[in-house]
Amino acid sequence: MKITREFVRDGKTVAVTAEFLEGDRWRVRIGDTVHEYEAKALGDGGVRLQSVGEGDRAFVAYGAALAKGYMVRVDGRTWTLEAPAGRRGAGASGGDGVVRAPMTGTVLEVACKPGDVVEAKQTLVVVSAMKMEHKLVAGVAGVVRKVVAQKGGTVDQGAELVVVEPHKAEETKP
Amino acid sequence: MAKNPPFRRVLIANRGEIAVRITRGLRELGIESVVVHSDADARCAHVLAADHAVPLGGNTAAESYLDIQKVLAAAKKTGAEAIHPGYGFLSENSGFARAVREAGLVFVGPNPEAMERLGGKKAAREEAIAAGVPVIPGTEQDQGDASLIAFGKKIGMPVMVKASAGGGGRGMRMVEREQDLAEALAAGRREAKASFGDDRMILERAVFPARHIEIQLMGDQHGHVVSLHERECSVQRRHQKVLEEAPSAVVDEALRQRMGAAAVTLAKRVGYDNAGTAEFLLDPKGNFYFLEVNTRLQVEHPVTELVTGVDLVHLQLHVAAGGKLEQLLAGRDLRPRGHAIEARICAESPETGYIPAAGLLRLVHEAEGPGVRVDSGVYSGWEVPPYYDSMLAKLVVHAPDRATACARLSQALRGMVYLGIPTNVDFLRRVVDDEAFRTANISTDMLKHRPDLAEGPQGGPGDYTLAAAVLCQVLGKSGGNGSAPAAGSSGGTNGSTAVWQTLGGFRLFEGAR
Repeated sequence: MKITREFVRDGKTVAVTAEFLEGDRWRVRIGDTVHEYEAKALGDGGVRLQSVGEGDRAFVAYGAALAKGYMVRVDGRTWTLEAPAGRRGAGASGGDGVVRAPMTGTVLEVACKPGDVVEAKQTLVVVSAMKMEHKLVAGVAGVVRKVVAQKGGTVDQGAELVVVEPHKAEETKP
Repeated sequence: MAKNPPFRRVLIANRGEIAVRITRGLRELGIESVVVHSDADARCAHVLAADHAVPLGGNTAAESYLDIQKVLAAAKKTGAEAIHPGYGFLSENSGFARAVREAGLVFVGPNPEAMERLGGKKAAREEAIAAGVPVIPGTEQDQGDASLIAFGKKIGMPVMVKASAGGGGRGMRMVEREQDLAEALAAGRREAKASFGDDRMILERAVFPARHIEIQLMGDQHGHVVSLHERECSVQRRHQKVLEEAPSAVVDEALRQRMGAAAVTLAKRVGYDNAGTAEFLLDPKGNFYFLEVNTRLQVEHPVTELVTGVDLVHLQLHVAAGGKLEQLLAGRDLRPRGHAIEARICAESPETGYIPAAGLLRLVHEAEGPGVRVDSGVYSGWEVPPYYDSMLAKLVVHAPDRATACARLSQALRGMVYLGIPTNVDFLRRVVDDEAFRTANISTDMLKHRPDLAEGPQGGPGDYTLAAAVLCQVLGKSGGNGSAPAAGSSGGTNGSTAVWQTLGGFRLFEGAR
């Protein structure tokens, strides 16, 4: 059998193909590089991996699929591997001018209104979750076009709170 | 310790890891446990661990764990004789302690009168001054923003603004510039109002670089109070403790005796009983200043348990039932042995601004081994609700000396697996492995000056990480038990499959295909 998965590494999509050889042996092709591993499933959801012929230490890895991506813990470090672009889920406020709720919580304060001219990193909304306050800032400088957040309201993770229309490129040129 | 169980049945007015830890202590003493839970917590670890569980309804803390009438009704209904409040929620609410007593039940904590004299920061400070315990210069009361700001300008920056009723860092901020005072007070009042229902603030000089040293106290109802020595909790972020240890690397026997004596004097002065903690700041010259008393069991109590050999929950239950410390601790050597460190595992992402996370824990695998204790409130398949604190579990290690304890904690953190939502496990390991922590060169503002510890190493995943991700998908729990899975399992066999669509959501408990 042969399985291929795609991940984003350093901004580029990389295909990883694992091919079953025999016993515990797998051949894994990552881009143009080929590795061989002995992989043993443990009863607790972990997999013990030992590279063949590369002299690396063996390690136990644990993985879990997320709704949009994959989380894997390898040798004591956790990675959240992203899906290739276009299939990615809604994240926190980004450079696109949309400020989203980073987590489910309550809106404490709305510090902007439609038509406001805002700077990048200016606080637009204050959200409270898990008993702590979080300031949500503008990802870009621009004009507030839409304010969805309402003071006292509950917001779900990823919900759109404020939309900022970025200044046009020529306006920011010296 | 006493032979007979101090109670037959005890209700725990809390949730998560601390409620689980208390059920364990109750069971060891032959006491039945009763827990309460919100709707969101119907399958929380503490509910699974208990002998009896009573739903309170609601989701938010205010609708459930903070509703005194609901908690008392649950105790009545189940015939519980005593209520253990854990930490947070109602634990430092003297009105609750009084209501428990008036309902004819025993509150496993200090008497409400002592709690009131030490509970508020302002009241505690006045008692400390009267007891001759050194305090930091600051305001005695809240006479509005204008007077607080004027006082701040008088004593000079930096200053601390704090919730008068507070604890746990809520509503507390350090202000370094005079022009930031008004905003800090406004934000502090909001947080204090939300956390304690009381928005009064006080202000005091900031001592820094400071180490946070606290003394564990235990009193009985017969006027006896003992010090179970210090814990150091200097590694903090925004006044939330991150790592806690006992003993402190900078507290020698003479200082331990002086700080312990100061804390005991203060506790005896107010007729304190049960568990409590006196918190101090220690400056580089070895001067200590009283901060506040936490009139409850602390999150970090396990480090004291490991180095003194005393089970604080057992002791709390015995003294609440009227037991005498001189009998309960007779013949015990309470001097600290070895070194213990605790790391708080939280559902938050230090790498991206410490944003807290709620959601499904798809895979949990916790560390074990000699000298490793895990007080956990989660399991594989538990969905962390957004309504409460972000702490999932506490990892505590014990070793003969500090260096070995650091190495043990680092390795134990390596073995902690929480997948599905972000956690601070990797961050904790970076801090523990950092030269500053290894050499005990720590202070309360250390993390503020070391953003690199939060950010972590840059760069993408290595080849073996990507290989592991794919092989885990094939061979992990969802992929079957054999080493050679049947063809056609999870995913395509040719070229580039749209894996993110075929994989879908919850796979942990899916049968082998």
